[in-house]
Amino acid sequence: MHSVECEDVWMIYRSLFSEKVALKEVNLKIPRNKIYGILGPNGAGKTTLISLMATLLRQTRGRIEVLGYDTISEFREIRKRINIASGNPNLIWSLTVYENLRYYSLLYGINDRKAVEELIKEFELEEFRDVEFNKLSTGSKQKLILARAFVNNPELVFLDEPTKGLDPPVARRLREKIRFLQKDLGITIVLTTHYMSEAEMLCDRITFINRGKIVAEGTKEELKRLLKMRDKITIEIEGIVPDLRLEGVFAVERDGNQLSFYVDSAEARLWEIAKEVARFGRIKNISVKEVDLEDVFNELAK
Amino acid sequence: MSSTNLRSEIYKTIGFTYRNYIITKRNFFTLFETLFWPIIGLISVGLMGAYLNLDKNYLAFILIGAVTLSVLQVSQLDVAYVLLFDMWSKSLRYTFVTPISIFNMIFGAWFFGAFRGLVAFLILVVSGKFLFDLNLLIDPVGLFIFLLGIFLSAMIIGTLTCSLLLIFGYRAEVSAWTLTAIFMLLCGIYYPVTLLPPGLREMAYAIPLTHFLEFYRSFYGFSPSTNNPALIGYSLSFLFLILLFLTLMWASDRARKRGTVTQFSE
Ligand SMILES: Nc1ncnc2c1ncn2[C@@H]1O[C@H](COP(=O)(O)OP(=O)(O)OP(=O)(O)O)[C@@H](O)[C@H]1O
Ligand SMILES: [Mg+2]
Repeated sequence: MHSVECEDVWMIYRSLFSEKVALKEVNLKIPRNKIYGILGPNGAGKTTLISLMATLLRQTRGRIEVLGYDTISEFREIRKRINIASGNPNLIWSLTVYENLRYYSLLYGINDRKAVEELIKEFELEEFRDVEFNKLSTGSKQKLILARAFVNNPELVFLDEPTKGLDPPVARRLREKIRFLQKDLGITIVLTTHYMSEAEMLCDRITFINRGKIVAEGTKEELKRLLKMRDKITIEIEGIVPDLRLEGVFAVERDGNQLSFYVDSAEARLWEIAKEVARFGRIKNISVKEVDLEDVFNELAK
Repeated sequence: MSSTNLRSEIYKTIGFTYRNYIITKRNFFTLFETLFWPIIGLISVGLMGAYLNLDKNYLAFILIGAVTLSVLQVSQLDVAYVLLFDMWSKSLRYTFVTPISIFNMIFGAWFFGAFRGLVAFLILVVSGKFLFDLNLLIDPVGLFIFLLGIFLSAMIIGTLTCSLLLIFGYRAEVSAWTLTAIFMLLCGIYYPVTLLPPGLREMAYAIPLTHFLEFYRSFYGFSPSTNNPALIGYSLSFLFLILLFLTLMWASDRARKRGTVTQFSE
């Protein structure tokens, strides 16, 4: 069974004067016990998607099942078993680290002071145990927000840009922590991020969304294969080359004497393309660039 | 409901009591709310009564009004603010993602509100006795019925404010204050509702607090305009609360459709 299944999900934000389609035709299956990444540019609909799965929003159309329960009719069953943490670290200002964790574990019907103390230790917050939330550093706030997501021993945790706004070393430690927790507890983590490196390091599967639609989905290997399709061969030539129809070429860009061919595989197509182009003039330079996640992201985000 | 389920419901409810307690403890101004304003209210109304040479029962009449208003104001805030705390600190999603129900939230906050209201009341009992020789403890059972009535009214105002906040956003915060002011006007805090023009008078009788005031004032020699004001007050309260709980459930569901919860979390 999957941890999350979305079936033709649409989310339209309606207010008195406007309508905003934030997600359309989303079909998605998120496997269990993995880290799943949702990538996309600003405003793509990542937070919307994650909030729908976490039962904070209610879709306009379609069906979402989380851990086998329907998000509309059985949301309370889901809420017992999941949790969330967001990169905008906001909790009640005047509560200390301990009080915040204690408060939230009570909301899950758990009255266990020792578990709260252990959570504080697990997330290395002992030294801030009695510090009020608004007096914590961003890094510690982020840690607390993450610790909070574990007060109910969830099977599934949603993280919305968990390392947003953190120094690289702090962000790295937090990523390691996320990886460790996922393995250690055998849970599913669904996270959104802007950072390719984060997705590369953490995610077993990735989905790209742009303008509310899923544009690509797969494991890292599958995506890499997908990326290969867009390798770029750039040829500089003296002479005028007409529009060419070549096998394996998805797009051609012209920039003065420079021609860029987007191909499924540079290795397989290079010779053929060079031979064809050479018919129209002398080749001055050839360069090949295999596209990485970053480029795909930029491409898909267009 | 099994005993583990019941226990878990109790903890969920106590969670909100706990949070309101901590916030109150940390906030100097809540001390003002609980102590300062009620005493100021009592003194100014009492002195006005003395100036007007009111006889003992009439003085009791208006002082009971002043005490009721203060206790209501103090105890309704805890309920009204239960969502507002989360909205201000943009943490609404973390409360909504837990498996709590609106009942856990409202009752949990209300317990603490009633506690604060009780503290304010006791202070007013002592100051009323000391300053104006007002005996508020005339009938213990009657007093219990009366106080619980005020606390239920506080729950009504608080629940209504929560619904309005979810529907209209922050701006609805003013309703926490406005509603008490309207109650003050309609329920006859400082005068018998029979003084109100027709139309307003009917509205006054539809509000539970009117009947609770008539009920307690009956111990001071003012005959109520209905046979059993306490019973009417409680029946109306339950009716209002059922309607308001349904409204709040509807408002929470609407908030899920509209994205209000995530909007107040960014
Ligand atoms: N409550 C809301 N009401 C109306 N429109 C909304 C609401 N929340 C989000 N939107 C709109 O829906 C779209 C998707 O927003 P969303 O926050 O899901 O994007 P995102 O991918 O998380 O962006 P970011 O990277 O900036 O966090 C945006 O155009 C946004 O303006
Ligand atoms: Mg977002």
